[in-house]
Amino acid sequence: MQIEISEAVSLDERGVLTLEQLVELSDLPESELRALVDYGALAPIDPGAERWTFTTSWIVVARTASRLRRDFELDAHSLSVVLQYVQRIDTLEAELRALRAQLG
Amino acid sequence: MKYKDYYSTLGVERSATPDDIKKAYRKLARKFHPDVSKEKDAEEKFKAMAEAYETLKDPEKKTAYDQLGSHAPGQDFRPPPDWERSFTHGQSTFDDVDLADLFAGLGGRGGFRRRADSAAPIPGQNYEAGVQITFDQAFHGTEIQMDLSMPEYDENGVAHRVPRVVTVRIPRGVTDGQKLRVPGKGGKGLRGGRAGDLYLDIAVTAHPLFRVDGRDLFVDLPLAPWEAVLGTSVQLPTPAGTVSLKVPAGTKAGQQLRLTGRGMARPQGVAGNLYAIVQIVVPTVLDDAQRALFTQLAEASTFNPRAHFEREASHAD
Repeated sequence: MQIEISEAVSLDERGVLTLEQLVELSDLPESELRALVDYGALAPIDPGAERWTFTTSWIVVARTASRLRRDFELDAHSLSVVLQYVQRIDTLEAELRALRAQLG
Repeated sequence: MKYKDYYSTLGVERSATPDDIKKAYRKLARKFHPDVSKEKDAEEKFKAMAEAYETLKDPEKKTAYDQLGSHAPGQDFRPPPDWERSFTHGQSTFDDVDLADLFAGLGGRGGFRRRADSAAPIPGQNYEAGVQITFDQAFHGTEIQMDLSMPEYDENGVAHRVPRVVTVRIPRGVTDGQKLRVPGKGGKGLRGGRAGDLYLDIAVTAHPLFRVDGRDLFVDLPLAPWEAVLGTSVQLPTPAGTVSLKVPAGTKAGQQLRLTGRGMARPQGVAGNLYAIVQIVVPTVLDDAQRALFTQLAEASTFNPRAHFEREASHAD
């Protein structure tokens, strides 16, 4: 029997997706994603472009936003504040990991 | 179908008001939500709570749930015949149905609309799974086989848990905490809806020698005092095999010797670096001859490792 192997794709700065694709992948409505961009929680590659595109690394943020919105029943503004804190924690944890790696 | 007691999951009585249910859920969500909680097994616990709240917060779903009766958690049961007639469509069986999928399928605009009543395509569900891999698997890339229980819709729009084996290639250079997407490997869509995606949460087991910071790796390099003073060449283990590393004379403790490109791979571009962090270790047991040599060195040397103490002290005077 032949085994089908699926490729796991990194969600990073290389892949690009449209706003419509981000809606589909995050389960967030387009209006909510637009509001998150307005509040600075999501950043299109070119905010001035007529049709927004994003790097695939934003899928992770948008999916986190979708979970937080659903589970805590948050509006877009509260969501952008919480996301900012979550990202700050991620950054601090990364710095902590870096220091631990260097100190042993 | 296995029964789940949504009321006890939220720690409320069956007679709880919508407000009680909301309060209980919010309190638990704050404690266990995986995005904000560091509690052990938070994800598992939160999933159960969210599932319970999802049904109990919706008056129509709550009514349908209450009409299933009360059973022991985990007990196999069949919904009463009336229930099936009221809430589902067609001849679905409930043997391999998860209560969560069933109630997720019962919601909708305009009340208790059934999935099967609509002709619109329904996208398959996204599915998230944790994957534990070793450091070596992360470094070299690997293939893993996953046994999943995936929700898939029958023609009536009822989601059944279907066992699926998915083999996934993990690219080299993934890091702990990274998320990967496997397009189209989530639940299948219904009526032409696209398949969901599988998302992998990667956890990498710590390596006894190598510590990871992004793409860079760190390894402790213990040296004897005379090796650090005179310089030497050591065999250094790296994830890709042992390499010969030249340690220059006069190497200090804490100094980082860089091995360019010997760290974790990058999807594009150059790999990270491997840093050997020098530690000076001393022998704790000396024989007479060795003690005599160290004493001789101590007497001959004018090296003062604490010269800066004296400089500081003279400033303070």
